[in-house]
Amino acid sequence: MDASSTLPFLLGLAWLAPLVSFAAILFYGPRMGPHGRDAARLATAAIATSLVLSLLAAGVWVSNHPVVAVSHGGADHGAVGDDGAAGPGGAADGHQEAAAAGESAHGHADDGHGAGGHGAPLPPSYSGDWYTLYEAGGLTLSIGWWIDALTVLMFVVVTLIATCIHVYASGYMHDELHDVTDHEVTLADGHHLHRPGRFPRFFQALSLFCFSMLGIVIAGNLAMVFIFWELVGICSWFLIGFYFERHSASTAANKAFIVNRVGDFGMLIGLMALWGALGTLHFGDRVVADDLGTPVNRQGLFSLVRPPARGHALTVPDGMVAAEAAADVAAIVRTGAADPAAAATAVAANVEGWRSRGLGRWLLFVAGVGIFCGCVGKSAQFPLFVWLPDAMEGPTPVSALVHSATMVAAGVYLVGRFYPVLTPDVLFVIAVIGAITLFIAATIALVANDIKRVLAYSTVSQLGYMMLALGVGGWAAGLFHLVTHAFFKSLLFLCSGSVIHACHTNDMRRMGGLLRTMPATAWTMLVGCLAIIGAGIPFVIGTSGYYSKDAILAQALSFANANPGRGWLFLAVAGGAFLTAFYMFRLWFMTFLGSPRDHHVAEHAHESPDVMVRPLLVLAVLAVVAGWTLPGGFGIANLIEQARPAGTGGIESSGYLFPGLTIPAEHESHVGAVHVTATLTAFATATAGVLLAAAMYWWKILSPGLVAGLFRPVYTFLANRWYVDELYDAVFVKPVLALAGLASGADRRIIDRIIDGVAWSARRIAGIDAWIDRWVVDGLVDATADVTWNAGLELKKLQTGRLRQYVLFIALGTVALFVLVSFLYRTALAG
Amino acid sequence: MPDAAAAVQPAFWPLTLMLFLPALVAAFLSLPIIPRGRDETVRWIALGTTAVVFLLSAWICLPWLFGGRGPGQFESGLARMQSVVKLPWIPAFNIEYLLGLDGISMPLVLLTTFLSVLAAAASWPITKHVKAYFVLFLLLETGMLGVFLGLDFFLFYVFWEVMLLPMYFLIGIWGGPRREYAAIKFFLYTLLGSVLMLIAILMLYFTSDVRTLSPEKLLAAHVVSPDLEPAARIAAVEKIRSAPAPIHTFNILALAEIGQSPDSPFATARVWGWSVETLAFLLLLIGFVIKVPVVPVHTWLPDAHVEAPTPISMILAGVLLKLGGYGILRICYPICPGGGLSLAWLVCGLGVVSMVYGAFAALAQKDFKRMVAYSSVSHMGYVMLGLGVWSAVAGTQYAWDAWAQGVNGAMFQMLAHGISSAGMFFMVGVLYDRVHHRNLEEFGGIFARMPVYAGLAVTIFFAGLGLPGLCGFIGEVLVTLSSWKYSQALAVCSAFTVIITAAYILWAIQRVYLGAEYKGPHGDHLEPLSQRELAIAVPLVLLAIVFGVAPQSIFRTVTPTVNRQVEALATWTRQVHDARPALSARGPVADVASTGAQP
Repeated sequence: MDASSTLPFLLGLAWLAPLVSFAAILFYGPRMGPHGRDAARLATAAIATSLVLSLLAAGVWVSNHPVVAVSHGGADHGAVGDDGAAGPGGAADGHQEAAAAGESAHGHADDGHGAGGHGAPLPPSYSGDWYTLYEAGGLTLSIGWWIDALTVLMFVVVTLIATCIHVYASGYMHDELHDVTDHEVTLADGHHLHRPGRFPRFFQALSLFCFSMLGIVIAGNLAMVFIFWELVGICSWFLIGFYFERHSASTAANKAFIVNRVGDFGMLIGLMALWGALGTLHFGDRVVADDLGTPVNRQGLFSLVRPPARGHALTVPDGMVAAEAAADVAAIVRTGAADPAAAATAVAANVEGWRSRGLGRWLLFVAGVGIFCGCVGKSAQFPLFVWLPDAMEGPTPVSALVHSATMVAAGVYLVGRFYPVLTPDVLFVIAVIGAITLFIAATIALVANDIKRVLAYSTVSQLGYMMLALGVGGWAAGLFHLVTHAFFKSLLFLCSGSVIHACHTNDMRRMGGLLRTMPATAWTMLVGCLAIIGAGIPFVIGTSGYYSKDAILAQALSFANANPGRGWLFLAVAGGAFLTAFYMFRLWFMTFLGSPRDHHVAEHAHESPDVMVRPLLVLAVLAVVAGWTLPGGFGIANLIEQARPAGTGGIESSGYLFPGLTIPAEHESHVGAVHVTATLTAFATATAGVLLAAAMYWWKILSPGLVAGLFRPVYTFLANRWYVDELYDAVFVKPVLALAGLASGADRRIIDRIIDGVAWSARRIAGIDAWIDRWVVDGLVDATADVTWNAGLELKKLQTGRLRQYVLFIALGTVALFVLVSFLYRTALAG
Repeated sequence: MPDAAAAVQPAFWPLTLMLFLPALVAAFLSLPIIPRGRDETVRWIALGTTAVVFLLSAWICLPWLFGGRGPGQFESGLARMQSVVKLPWIPAFNIEYLLGLDGISMPLVLLTTFLSVLAAAASWPITKHVKAYFVLFLLLETGMLGVFLGLDFFLFYVFWEVMLLPMYFLIGIWGGPRREYAAIKFFLYTLLGSVLMLIAILMLYFTSDVRTLSPEKLLAAHVVSPDLEPAARIAAVEKIRSAPAPIHTFNILALAEIGQSPDSPFATARVWGWSVETLAFLLLLIGFVIKVPVVPVHTWLPDAHVEAPTPISMILAGVLLKLGGYGILRICYPICPGGGLSLAWLVCGLGVVSMVYGAFAALAQKDFKRMVAYSSVSHMGYVMLGLGVWSAVAGTQYAWDAWAQGVNGAMFQMLAHGISSAGMFFMVGVLYDRVHHRNLEEFGGIFARMPVYAGLAVTIFFAGLGLPGLCGFIGEVLVTLSSWKYSQALAVCSAFTVIITAAYILWAIQRVYLGAEYKGPHGDHLEPLSQRELAIAVPLVLLAIVFGVAPQSIFRTVTPTVNRQVEALATWTRQVHDARPALSARGPVADVASTGAQP
């Protein structure tokens, strides 16, 4: 089986299936069965088809590229390998990279591309274009694919979770099958809103959402990523604002989209920096025909930034160097303007010198940070995390989808995908943002009482973990956590949805004792909680979170060891692990244990129908086993490792913006000393967190009220979510609105005043003119100038010949100008 | 004479008929043939006329729809001027009846005829002086088509003025409460632009001399018709080149060839210390940017839009604003490249200021239609920026592709905005026809009341928001991406606009379409769309999707012509501009563009 044609075909179909479902429901939704009931079946069938196709693709992938254990060649004997893979001149730009010794264990030379550099094999990947959006003069924007192990894995994860959520939602959304009375909306006449159900519309948006997300995953270039990035944004707008009659819902939807656009602003800058300097947004190399029809290899971003000829060492691309040296280029070109070819050669000869002077590094940094800005928006990182908790206004299945495998995952995925282009400076920025995010979000989650908001902040916090992991060099660790988190977070959200479905409230203070009435939900949610805190028996076995979180801790510790001044990042991670354990078990204890706090709620509570419980069971199993590696090496961790971008994973250091920064090699974190410390730290912090939560909310040794009272200012600060919303409102929203008012006012008060003044004088002059006409020129042309102010405002005037006057006026004016200018102008030319 | 010409100029009858049919029907309507009170008949005649004109334009521009290309019809994918019609008009001043189509004008002609049909259909609710309304409406269509088709500068100017008058009356008579103010304002602004343009036209005319052009260029510029017999052609060329006195020309193509030649008289001749090309560029630019419009000469637009009836707003936003961009692209840059290069910062700066300022102003509006009007200012700013990003300078080794991308993006943005803004104004008009107010604070709940309408309207507004998959996205992205190479600061400002755009559009959608219930007066009049309204809205929405999903449908036509022009100007920069010995002698701002790109 030829993977290079099979994989794009299978995944392309998997990508398009939800689009078909979207279009069908858009036009025929309400006619699909009673009240559009069958729309759910269609959407579910579509995403299930995607899942099957993705699994097939995964099968094809594995049969072509067997997943084997990664032997950390150099790691066991503690030495960084040095097999001479570093290309010539690799150190010229100040970026040093030890060739990743262990990585040669992949054993797979690249199939999709031509030969890479010696000694540093490319990961297997396939890329190509389906469809061209714009093409001119060597610049191409297109829709295409980039498929490697990560793409295949993400397809399976996204479609699997989406399928579970579709099934679950067809039960959860059943209220929408008949007329709905929305108790959260009170009309002007004092009644609650009564409206027809919108069952098909929900699945329509869900399908479009899946299509957009899969588009990001399969994207072969950044332009395509940006396109689907925006589409994901608008889908989230539809879904968060699903109850659009509620002002809070439509506001939350707008907030989500606009805050994301703030991130996209940065992303656009990144795209411009890349496009302007390099003229391509493709990840991989492309073979295109030049003017004469001969095929030429046009390098993509990855090989421009990590040239195979330099052993995939991070290199500032020629285009960026030349762009920053534009003044020098201009000088060379001007002197040699007569011979463009010679000038180009002269410029090319100078590029190496400019590069060694550090030119172009700033552009590469801007590009990386810019793209990361987009990820900050989508993945709800500090300072743009404010939209995510508000997004809870959408129906719970949407929250589950948004928070696990789609949308927020997109940001982390893009950082992972774009990893080869990120310089150590950018990585450090990412790590710091991740650390800040994980800490702020975890502290807010401590005091939240809305069950979905706790989970929302927990998502923000976990995303912070992933970003931090990527930033400190843990490429595989971060993406591994993305996958495991997708499973247990969707599980947790669906469980919370099941609880809300039963209790008709989000407030945990009104729950309690639900373990008896909803055992399936309670136990599956416990599995989710254990997974998210990374529970496991150290060094033996654990839930999926155990493996991914340990990897992050280990890498953060390794980073802290390499950068003694920046060790606080590890403290943030360890502290975050403690907080996570506390607030997750606080949630579980408050909801399921103890005695019911609100009898009305307790009487009403019941276990959810099978259609909702079954997805919970599937996800619970996955939340446990997703991290396991089978004997022989098959497992998600090794699958991800297969996709490791060429040249990454080794030590990277930089003296550019952050002096002395060293990004440690990822395999070093598997070294015994680091690994053991990390695992024990994770175990200790998680246990402490659970015990504290149990002491406060289960055994009731410590009164939560007492603790809150003890730290009143802190509690208030956290309960008000660090006052971030208020701060943004004062610092950004209000000034923007004021500026808008100013712009609008300036039009009326300044520009229009001037125009009115001109009009007024024209009228005066016209009046004088008219007077001269009437009394001096004696009716030569009747009221010629008056026309500019009075003419033809009513039809009868128009019919009595004003139109003719008007035309006459213009014609005369034209002739007069003609004569005047030609006369003056000839004089001027002569003079 | 026309019969003889038609034998050699197959495009004569189709183009002439398309151009003057609306005017003929207008003349017919203005005669007292149709009795009073037969308004319905008048409406159908006008709609039929616009439909015939649209079919004619489609027959000329998209021959594949009619089973293959015949002589005189347009072939997509070619860069050169096609379907040229050339007849003498006022020989004393070398003024010609010179029409033609290329990749730049063809899509705009189609847009004009298409929107005219929709606007005529949208004119049904007009009940005041119906006959006079349609007379002016049809005259307006002739004027607009003439501007896009005319290749003789004088002819161009005549049509430009022909357009002005009907518009003035259409706003001034059929407008809202402050129609007189709005009409006068529109008139004053546009007249100012026209006067400056006329001065520039005459300057260029009297400086030009076609004798300096090579025989190939004389043919390419249609100074000598390439349709002539070879012998007659050689004779005509010889006659021109051996003429004793300078031969001035209004031929836009010839003026461009002269302007880009190494010994361009526009660069050497000076008026009051300015080179002709710089001064003419500036004067023409002012004339055109008033039409675009850019800040600070934009304030006629919100007033004109708010007061104009819905179909006139559609035409105004959909077509008239494009005339400015078209003029800059067709006339300013090719004829006055020196002025264009030295004033590129002005063009781009105006574009970015309009984008940001328009977006902010839109955010503050309380009137729905005024908000849409300001969104036009903002969106047309992209056109200016895209046209102006002259990044083909020494520092980039004269790479022309980024600038070409900007210009292609600007062209796309013009067409996309033609669809989306006409659609947005129509959608506002639909609501206004029902509830007779436009106050953004007094809507809400329209989604529940008029679901089909709201779905279509939100789609069109999303196109304005620049959502991928809809027409607004491609142009904005191409322009924004291209601007970085010219100026990073401007690029960042232009990227910033996406935030404000999202804010004002989403906020408006929230206030009008979302929410639980309608808050304003006349709520009982919120009826679903009529068949007629659907027939207008659906094509607009469909086109918005087609352009967004298949931008190549436009680029296939546009790109060859645009690329050729930009490549020629890049070559001019290298071979003419930078090869000139004394750069600084050509004015204090002459070199800003080539160094301004550097951070």
